[in-house]
Amino acid sequence: MMQRKYQRSFNQIRKIVEDTAGFFSEHEIDDSLRMKVDLSLEELFVNMVTYNTETDSDILIEMKPIEQGIEVSLTDFDVERFDPTMAAEIDIDAPLSERTPGGLGLYLVLKMADSIHYEYRDRKSKITFTNRVTGE
Amino acid sequence: MFKIGLNDNGEVAVSGRLDAAQAEKAQEFLDTVTDNCVLDLQGLEYISSAGLGVLLRTHKRLMGSQSGLELVNVNKHIGDIFRYSGFDKLFVVRAAQ
Repeated sequence: MMQRKYQRSFNQIRKIVEDTAGFFSEHEIDDSLRMKVDLSLEELFVNMVTYNTETDSDILIEMKPIEQGIEVSLTDFDVERFDPTMAAEIDIDAPLSERTPGGLGLYLVLKMADSIHYEYRDRKSKITFTNRVTGE
Repeated sequence: MFKIGLNDNGEVAVSGRLDAAQAEKAQEFLDTVTDNCVLDLQGLEYISSAGLGVLLRTHKRLMGSQSGLELVNVNKHIGDIFRYSGFDKLFVVRAAQ
């Protein structure tokens, strides 16, 4: 189990990637999951940093190995409720003129994760996702 | 380490990890492009929605003047992200050999 807090800055992404690589190595988690985990972690972290601007609290990231994979949680403290699992669908068949970058990140998270769960309690916003080799 | 610049073939070579921390650097470079442009993604290891946004904004701007981006030497992982995003329908995408 890893528990680590990160400042609310995009500059922390590099540190998160390094810590994730270390966790994968330490627990011998299949490296084929790295891209999906890195992507979901970044998108959810960036979403919290960008939209939960009413707090200065660090963001807590937890990782634990599970059978054939990994479970990752991000917790943001003293924020309003925002459930990423309810993010609007993106029409990936829309023509270029109608496409915008907005919303693509959470859409990709929902595509990449094998499971995803949101909970909100005492102004704590926590999102948990899993990726398994067998889920590919 | 993210890098973007012209290669010997006059293409824009992109390498490393194009994430939210590097998107501004990529956008600044691509904002200088004014005509059809080939992006050599052979060295690109990772791209997030922030990087996809840079490609989309640049492509839309260039398409306004009948130009655009062509994405070449795309590896399987990056190709999967393009496919999930529908970018394979918006760009000319050529897989790595």
